[in-house]
Amino acid sequence: MTVVELVIASGKGGVGKSTISGSLAVLLAKKGLKLVAADADAEEPNLHIVLGIDRWDRVEEYYEGRIAYILQDKCTKCNICAEECPFGAVEVIDGNYKINEYICEGCLTCSLACPVKAIRYKFKVVAGHIMLAEKTRYGFPLISGESVPGRPNSGKLVTEIKNRAKALLGTEGVLLLDAAAGIGCQVISSLTGAQFALLVVEPTRASLSDLKRIHKLTKHFMIAPMIVINKFDINPEMVNDIEEYAKEENIPIIGKIPFDESVPKSINMRRPVVEAFPDSSASQELRRIADFVAEKVLSDWRSWYSRYRPKKPEPYIPVIVRPQKG
Amino acid sequence: MATIRIAIPTEKGGLDDLVYDRLGRAPTFTIVEADLDTGEIKKVEVIKNPGAEAGSGAGVKAAQAIADAKATVYVGPNPGPNAYAALQYLGVKIFTITGVKVKDAVKNVIEELKS
Repeated sequence: MTVVELVIASGKGGVGKSTISGSLAVLLAKKGLKLVAADADAEEPNLHIVLGIDRWDRVEEYYEGRIAYILQDKCTKCNICAEECPFGAVEVIDGNYKINEYICEGCLTCSLACPVKAIRYKFKVVAGHIMLAEKTRYGFPLISGESVPGRPNSGKLVTEIKNRAKALLGTEGVLLLDAAAGIGCQVISSLTGAQFALLVVEPTRASLSDLKRIHKLTKHFMIAPMIVINKFDINPEMVNDIEEYAKEENIPIIGKIPFDESVPKSINMRRPVVEAFPDSSASQELRRIADFVAEKVLSDWRSWYSRYRPKKPEPYIPVIVRPQKG
Repeated sequence: MATIRIAIPTEKGGLDDLVYDRLGRAPTFTIVEADLDTGEIKKVEVIKNPGAEAGSGAGVKAAQAIADAKATVYVGPNPGPNAYAALQYLGVKIFTITGVKVKDAVKNVIEELKS
């Protein structure tokens, strides 16, 4: 056995990633799978809300970046740093030059410009926190992170979260990762090294468009994708379009969750819907999805992977403008 | 006699280390200098990956480090979009392999390059 990574992603935000992640984690753990859940959306972590966690067993500070500060006894108030700072982070307060920590990007410009070398850097900048609940009430551990507002949107924080989750799992088990919205740094960090991506889509134009973008990214990373359509019954026409796309691209649609008011109710109760309203229509479909994931995908993950992963790497390469030779 | 320099993302580094499962945030790169004709390994260096500590832009920093180490071949996991573009731009050949030891990855890629 090895560690299998299943990432729940969607491109578009607010389509049900965390709700589905929470219920899926609970159901898979109930089946006896060794599982660690990780919230890889450090900007808006909320898997712990779905799982009803209000106390962390461990909270670590996460450091990243650097912030400049001015040695007041060396500063000659020449104003050069204020002129050179590309971010306008140098402020004059009561005649003294100060760096506004919220604006400073740590780019080093001021220290290069300063004629009297009065600028230093502090490196232990708290850019976020990593939180661990060793045992949720559903049995499995949850690792989460949160970034400090204004600090860099960080794939490194997600990497740290993943590394801790993997350390907890050891040599085997399932890492269920609730990714952030979008296709940026954090999401790329979530997807790297994963085998499977469960792509959540709503029957709306915007969601399908974002699905295509995140799917491109899974092709880049040679990940086997699968689709869950959330609230499928609110717009049957769009479901057709999603199904067509899935067929063209050989992506299995493994579930269609109906619109169900017990879902928002369960979120307010801070319990996964499959626990709060086990008989609701959404819960029934979620159980079917969990059965499918456990029996078809994870039980013999290598064969499922080789069947649905991209046949050849399709690098998603940004366009590079080459400098012109003059 | 042609020698090539191959860059492989690793944790601690060295021929017996496993190929790390990501490029941008791998702790180190093992740079292997080998004879293309005989497959003989001539030199092994381990360099730190500046991308490991980067908040963002890890892939590009990693690609730059590979090029700075004068490696012309990359072997490892699938590079991310930015790293992929950067490696291509820097003229580094890309080969994908994971889950094996560095020396086996090197052996494989040399055979691949010869054929």
